[in-house]
Amino acid sequence: MHIPDGYLSPQTYIPLFGVFVAAATVAVKKVKNEVSARNIPYLGMAAAFSFIIMMFNLPIPGGTSGHAVGSAVIAIIFGPWAAMLAVSVAIIIQALIFGDGGITAIGANCFNMAVFMPFTAYYIFRLFNNKTSKKSRISFSSFISGYLSLVLAAILTATEFGIQPLIASSADGKALYCPYDLKIAVPAMAVEHMLLFGIVEGIITAIIVNYFLKTEPSSIYALRERSKNE
Amino acid sequence: MENKIPAYLVKPVADQKDLSETKGPRLAFLDKTILNSARAAKAIYVQAENSTVQSVIQKINPHIKLISLIYFLFIISIANRIEAQAVITAFIFSLYVLAKLKVFEVYKRTFLLAFIFGFVIVLPASLNLVTPGRIILNIMTFNKPSHFLIYTIPQNIGFTDDGFKVVLLIFLRILNSVSFGMLIVFTTSFPLFVKSFKILGVPDTFLMIITLAYKYIFILSRTIEETYFAFKSRLLGNIKNEKIREVISGRIFFIFKKSMRFYENTYNAMVSRAYQGKIILHSQKKLSYHDFVALFIIVVSGICIIYFL
Repeated sequence: MHIPDGYLSPQTYIPLFGVFVAAATVAVKKVKNEVSARNIPYLGMAAAFSFIIMMFNLPIPGGTSGHAVGSAVIAIIFGPWAAMLAVSVAIIIQALIFGDGGITAIGANCFNMAVFMPFTAYYIFRLFNNKTSKKSRISFSSFISGYLSLVLAAILTATEFGIQPLIASSADGKALYCPYDLKIAVPAMAVEHMLLFGIVEGIITAIIVNYFLKTEPSSIYALRERSKNE
Repeated sequence: MENKIPAYLVKPVADQKDLSETKGPRLAFLDKTILNSARAAKAIYVQAENSTVQSVIQKINPHIKLISLIYFLFIISIANRIEAQAVITAFIFSLYVLAKLKVFEVYKRTFLLAFIFGFVIVLPASLNLVTPGRIILNIMTFNKPSHFLIYTIPQNIGFTDDGFKVVLLIFLRILNSVSFGMLIVFTTSFPLFVKSFKILGVPDTFLMIITLAYKYIFILSRTIEETYFAFKSRLLGNIKNEKIREVISGRIFFIFKKSMRFYENTYNAMVSRAYQGKIILHSQKKLSYHDFVALFIIVVSGICIIYFL
C-alpha cells in the first residue's frame, strides 16, 4: 500500500500533498477541540500506537500470518480525525526513517491511508453497527470496515498508478513513471486486496476491536460517540 | 545401591507424551513481530548514531538540508533520461563518501528497496503487452493475436528494448530518491530535522506530535521486543491459533494502555513546566557561509542535470 518514490509524477504527488495538508489542518483544529490542551501528547501517543500496531503479526485462520495497515482499527478506537493525524505521522516517520513509502509520495500515501481509509472505515463501521451492542454485530462491523476500507483504498492507490501513463509519458508514448495503466493496475490491486490482504485486515481489525470491547469498551471512540448521540 | 528416587518420579505417566517428540508451536509470527520491533529500534538507533558523525555534510544546517531534499527529489522526479539519472547516482554516491557514512550498510537497504519496487514489480512492464517496441527477447509465440475482454494479446510476447529502458529509468529513479532521502535523514538529528519543517509553514503543534511519536516508537518497540521474548520463552508444546490470537490481542491492549500512561505522564510533565496548550519551537542556529555554499552546489547541480543531460 505504501507508494514508493518514482511511481507518481509531480502532476499527481503535488496536488495530493495539497489535499492532505488541507485535511490535516482541519484535523488539527477538530482534535484540539475534542481533547483540549492534551491534544499534543495524546496524538503523539496515538501516532506511535498506529505505527506499532503494524508490527504485530497475527496467525490468520488458514495457516498464514499477517499484519494490518491499522488505519481502520485506529479510526474505530481513536476516531477518524485523530486517526488521520496519527496515521499520517506514522507514515511520515516510516518514509523518513525506514524508507517505507517515498518521500515525494508522502502526500499521496497520507491521502490514501490516513485520510481516505480511516474515514471510510469509521463510517462503514457505524453504518453496519447500527446502534447495536451485540458483540457479534460489532465484530462483523469491524471486519467489514477493515476489509472494505482497505479494498477501496487499494483501488484508489491503483487509480493513482493507472493514470500515470495517461498524464505523464514521453513524446513517443513511453511510460516515465508507473508503467501500468488503469486496466492493469486496478484489477491487479483490487483482486489481491479483495482475496487476501482485505480479509487479513478485516480479521485483525475484528480481533483487536473484540479484545478492546471485552476489556475496556469505553476506550473505543466509535462506541463512545454512538452512545453520546443516543 | 538401592534406587531411592520415589516411584512416581521414575514411572512415565501413561497419557503424557515425551515433550521432545511433540511439535513445537509455530512461532514464525512471533519471530516476525520481534524482528519488526527490533528493526524499528535499530533504524532509530542507527539514524541517531550516524547524525553525530563529524563530516562536511552533517555540519550543514537542517533548514538547508530540507530545502535541498525537496529540490533534489523534485529534480530526480523530473529527470526523464537514463543518462541524467546515472549522473545523479554518481553524485549522490560521492556525497555518501563525503558524509563518512557506512556506504555498504546504507546502500544494501537502498538497493533492496530499488530492486523490489524498481525491478521486480516493474519488470513485467518491459513486455510488449505493456510497452510496445522491438522485441529483443521472445518468450512465447501464438498462432494469431487474440482478444480477451479489454485486453489484446499479440502473436509474439517478449521483452522490448523500450521496455528495458523504462525499467532502468524507474529503477534508477527509485534508487536515487531513496538514497538521497536517506543521506539527508541519516546525517541530521531527527528532532532538529523535524523542527526545520517550520520553514514550510508546518504548525509547531504538528512538529511536536512527530517528535513525541518518534520517541514513543523507540520506547514501545523495545517494550514489544521484551514482552515477546518473555512470551516466546514460556511457550511449550502446541497452542491453538485461537489462543495465540487472544494472547496477542492482549499484548496490543497492553501496549495501548502503556501508551496511554506515557501520554498522561508526558502531559503532566509538560504541565509542570508551565505548558498551557501552546507549543513554540525555538529557532535553530543561524545559517553560515558553509550552508550557502552547500545550497549553491545542490541548486547548480540540479539545473545542470536538467539542462545539459
